[in-house]
Amino acid sequence: MAQSVLVFSEKPSLLAELIAGGLDMGMDVTALVCGERAGAEAALAAGAGQVLLVQPPEGAYLVEDLVPTLEAAARERQPALVLVGATRRGRVVAGRLAARLDTVALTDVLELKAGGDAFQARHMIFGGGALRVERLRAATVVATAGPGVYRARPPQQTAGAENILPMPFVDLDQCARAVLRERRPRAGASVNLAAAKRVVCAGRGVAKMEDLEQVNALARALNAEVACTRPLAEGLDWLPRERYIGISGAQVRPDLYLGVGVSGQVQHMIGMSRSKLVVAINKDQGAPIFAHADYGIVGDLYAVLPALLEALKNRP
Amino acid sequence: MSDDKFDVIIVGAGVAGSTAAALLAREGLQVVLIERGPYPGSKNLSGGVLYTRALERIFPEYAEEAPLERCITNQVISFMTADAAFNIDFKTAAFQKAPYNAFTVLRAKFDRWLAGKAEEAGAMLVPGIKVEQVLKDAAGKVVGVVAGEDELLADVVITADGATSFLAQQAGLRGRIDTRHVATGVKAVVALPQSVIEDRFRLDGNEGVAYTTLGAATRGVAGGGFLYTNRESLSVGLVMRLDDLVRTQSRPAEIFDEFLAHPHIAALLKDGELLEYGAHLVPEGGLAMLPQLHMPGMLVIGDAAGLVINNGFAIRGMDLAIGSAVAAAQAVMESKAAGDFSAGLGRYKTILDKSYVMKDMRTFARAPHFLDNPRLFKDYPALLADLMTRIYTQDAAGKPPTRAEARQSLKDSRISLAALARDILEGARAL
Amino acid sequence: MHIVACVKFTPDPADIQVRPDGSISLERAEWVIGNFDLQAVEAGVRMIEQHGGQLTALSAGPAQAGSSKLRKDLLSHGPDALSLVIDESLRDADTATTARVLARAIEKLGGVDLVLCGEGSADLYFQQVGIQLGERLGWPVFNAVNHIECSSDQRVMIERDLEDEIEVLDVPLPAVLMVTTSINEPRLPTMKDILKAGKKPVSEWALADLGLEPAPGAVEVTSVSAPHQVQRKGVLITGAAQEAAQELVRHLTREGIL
Ligand SMILES: Cc1cc2nc3c(=O)[nH]c(=O)nc-3n(C[C@H](O)[C@H](O)[C@H](O)COP(=O)(O)OP(=O)(O)OC[C@H]3O[C@@H](n4cnc5c(N)ncnc54)[C@H](O)[C@@H]3O)c2cc1C
Ligand SMILES: Cc1cc2nc3c(=O)[nH]c(=O)nc-3n(C[C@H](O)[C@H](O)[C@H](O)COP(=O)(O)OP(=O)(O)OC[C@H]3O[C@@H](n4cnc5c(N)ncnc54)[C@H](O)[C@@H]3O)c2cc1C
Ligand SMILES: Nc1ncnc2c1ncn2[C@@H]1O[C@H](COP(=O)(O)O)[C@@H](O)[C@H]1O
Repeated sequence: MAQSVLVFSEKPSLLAELIAGGLDMGMDVTALVCGERAGAEAALAAGAGQVLLVQPPEGAYLVEDLVPTLEAAARERQPALVLVGATRRGRVVAGRLAARLDTVALTDVLELKAGGDAFQARHMIFGGGALRVERLRAATVVATAGPGVYRARPPQQTAGAENILPMPFVDLDQCARAVLRERRPRAGASVNLAAAKRVVCAGRGVAKMEDLEQVNALARALNAEVACTRPLAEGLDWLPRERYIGISGAQVRPDLYLGVGVSGQVQHMIGMSRSKLVVAINKDQGAPIFAHADYGIVGDLYAVLPALLEALKNRP
Repeated sequence: MSDDKFDVIIVGAGVAGSTAAALLAREGLQVVLIERGPYPGSKNLSGGVLYTRALERIFPEYAEEAPLERCITNQVISFMTADAAFNIDFKTAAFQKAPYNAFTVLRAKFDRWLAGKAEEAGAMLVPGIKVEQVLKDAAGKVVGVVAGEDELLADVVITADGATSFLAQQAGLRGRIDTRHVATGVKAVVALPQSVIEDRFRLDGNEGVAYTTLGAATRGVAGGGFLYTNRESLSVGLVMRLDDLVRTQSRPAEIFDEFLAHPHIAALLKDGELLEYGAHLVPEGGLAMLPQLHMPGMLVIGDAAGLVINNGFAIRGMDLAIGSAVAAAQAVMESKAAGDFSAGLGRYKTILDKSYVMKDMRTFARAPHFLDNPRLFKDYPALLADLMTRIYTQDAAGKPPTRAEARQSLKDSRISLAALARDILEGARAL
Repeated sequence: MHIVACVKFTPDPADIQVRPDGSISLERAEWVIGNFDLQAVEAGVRMIEQHGGQLTALSAGPAQAGSSKLRKDLLSHGPDALSLVIDESLRDADTATTARVLARAIEKLGGVDLVLCGEGSADLYFQQVGIQLGERLGWPVFNAVNHIECSSDQRVMIERDLEDEIEVLDVPLPAVLMVTTSINEPRLPTMKDILKAGKKPVSEWALADLGLEPAPGAVEVTSVSAPHQVQRKGVLITGAAQEAAQELVRHLTREGIL
């Protein structure tokens, strides 16, 4: 009998990737979805064998409030693995669940392999300076994986609707609860970088937020998604968080990665090292990114970008 | 004692500062030892042969405790031209048995140990803080130091802040550094497995070798190179006169790269991995450069006082730094007993004058001048290499007698016999 | 208010050495304060400065984590006291073990209102220990905390910096919060801070003092190695922008991208 995995992510695109990950490992996949039936159907279409559909509680709740429900599902079904999407909320969910199951959570894995009675995980430590391989033996292993570790499968109808099982929301939390006061959404359309075939990535070399328009124009010309390094998304807040690539952001593996004004720090490069072709534009010939690029233009992006747009337009 | 007033503030936890701190803390004084690096030794660079006799008197336990690398049992002097090297390899039984007189040390480890000894004795180490200024009272007596927004007061400030001694300058103990009185030291540490080092240099156990090089290494810029064996690494470096570098418009890094690539040196470094690299000033003015050593409330010790001897074959600074720390500590204790930290500190100069520090400084007083001689760095190495090449080259005509060859070499090398004789004489007197 | 800041001492990531076989050596590495944990300390210092109380730093690890230099260094950043749990079995401890040990230490300290953790440890950066610690204590726990305000003795108002939104929560105490790297700019210790640090109380516990026994973790580390580098072509195009752009387009065409 195949091992089973319970997958959870509050982010539908990530959930689809985790389902694919479970299937890649040859496991029976059960997804836990809270909310609308449509979400459960999407999970089935993404390849889940079963979906536990949880009726959310009345009023506002936090994703983290689902921990007791996940724990109940894990205890009842005894999956070999609980795989949680490595968003910030997901890390809380995984950690709390692991503590309740008295085990550890393998976080932000780059690769997870089932083998015998243990799981083997790879991930970066020392800020990308080293790669660690570890084996974890536990009745149920808890792990998180971020966007891009697995590739979602194209939607198809396999399991029937009878495989959507209702699951009660378990509210076991004895401890005092936090009260939600406010949610301020961030601007920016949702994007799934992990699936992008081409990515143009802006770095700190872009001097002003307005100048991102030039990067956008290049992305349009190449039919690529716009991504960025962490400082642009966090700190400068020019682009949404989900658009940054790296150890703490998205993992991408496009056919083309084109970095504009990106220095190539290891924390960033980990997220794009599986790109097929890497191109860099940087004015500093000594920038580390050139050591990891197939093609590099040494030059000021403010001169190179217009020239590149022009050259793309005039292409025979 | 209030929180902000101490007996002694020592600036710089190098060899000089930590020794002084240990000695004074042992006497029960409240000592603060301030170091700008994140830990003592983190910013210190030295070729690393420490003549240990002075250290031994203060820390008899050093041989067991201190992070010593290897004891020097073998000295080699290499005269180098662009593609050749002529070695004088000196090994004596006297070097081979205890008490050893010189060890290689790595400052990052050694300075830490020494500062640890000061802390053990009760000194308070304050790392990661750069002293910006000395504090004077209305009468001009130094009463403390300033770093950031903090002021710290003490009866005596001892500055042990190294060759560039910004504090001695700022306090008015000396003027700006004359480029004729300083050299630039460039140094690298290259890692090699212990077994490789022991095979390559034919060393047993903790034996070590010190190479000194003269010649091609420095493109005729006055100065010389060194290569010392540590336990699992080599310290390799060059010391070049600053004014010569300016005059010949040479970049130290370029010359250093050439030095490392020289076949003689490259063979010794083969397969090594560069661990660290740095540059540092070396005071070389000898007696001519000595600043005023004390003023009311303040003393200068170690490199900050210009106490370095570079005789062309070896650099000595660490043991002199220790000697000056001993003199300073004694002067502070005497001043404390007398309750006079102004004129009383003048005792430092008297004590120092009588110590081996100044005796040796005077003995080598001619060295800087002798080392000014370009023949030493340019012509003699070429001469020796040429001579050796002739001696060891077999040609069809048969070998002419060696003395004739020597003369031929000398003739080719543009050095007059008179100059040669003069240099030999001067060298003998200076060294 | 009694605040605990959890700090991990780790080998300095900058001192990693790669052996010829690709494995990693930390023998020469200097041990340092995890640099994202200083934000937790600073956040605690600021709260104490505003509302009074005591800040205790707490760290668990092997012997290297207890050196007098690290103690003083950490205390010079502002905590009033330091509690150390030192045990060789804590070298490479997994997140569950660390959380268990820290939870016991916090119970032993007693009367703790708030525990602050960094975003992640400087070596592992699993971003987990704080979460698991909170759950083990049975206290509310949140990560990505970018702002903390004391609303009363019993509650704090926090802002979480999440991927798609900012969330404002009113959290009852005691609680555990993991702060972001951008919550504040940790101050540099001054000369007087460092001198004071030497006089602050430090308590050192062994596992037995916490009623715990060394237990092997569930995680077995099979290898630690330098990351594999993909071989790239490394074609550098210099010169005028126009020509460079045209040359790149030619390359991209040949690669089948265009
Ligand atoms: C724990 C941790 C996790 C992290 N995680 C991530 C992560 O997941 N993702 C991430 O991206 N970062 C991450 N970082 C941050 C990372 O270390 C780097 O700081 C970041 O990637 C640098 O971004 P950058 O290349 O845009 O900026 P910089 O490093 O500032 O580089 C800007 C580059 O632009 C070039 N430039 C400037 N002007 C021009 C011009 N006019 N034309 C052309 N070139 C120009 C410069 O030469 C320079 O190379 C993390 C850091 C830490 C400590
Ligand atoms: C390349 C090279 C090779 C050498 N080889 C040898 C050798 O083989 N044998 C030998 O005996 N000597 C050698 N020397 C000389 C020797 O290194 C010095 O003489 C010796 O280090 C002097 O010790 P010191 O304590 O006076 O100064 P330093 O060792 O320079 O220490 C000064 C300390 O003060 C600190 N400091 C400076 N300014 C401040 C400030 N404002 N606030 C706080 N802290 C401050 C510095 O960080 C440093 O730690 C060599 C020197 C060089 C450069
Ligand atoms: N050994 C430890 N001692 C004290 N605090 C720790 C320890 N390990 C982790 N922490 C805290 O938990 C946070 C997350 O750690 P990690 O899960 O290892 O990324 C760190 O930022 C610290 O605040």
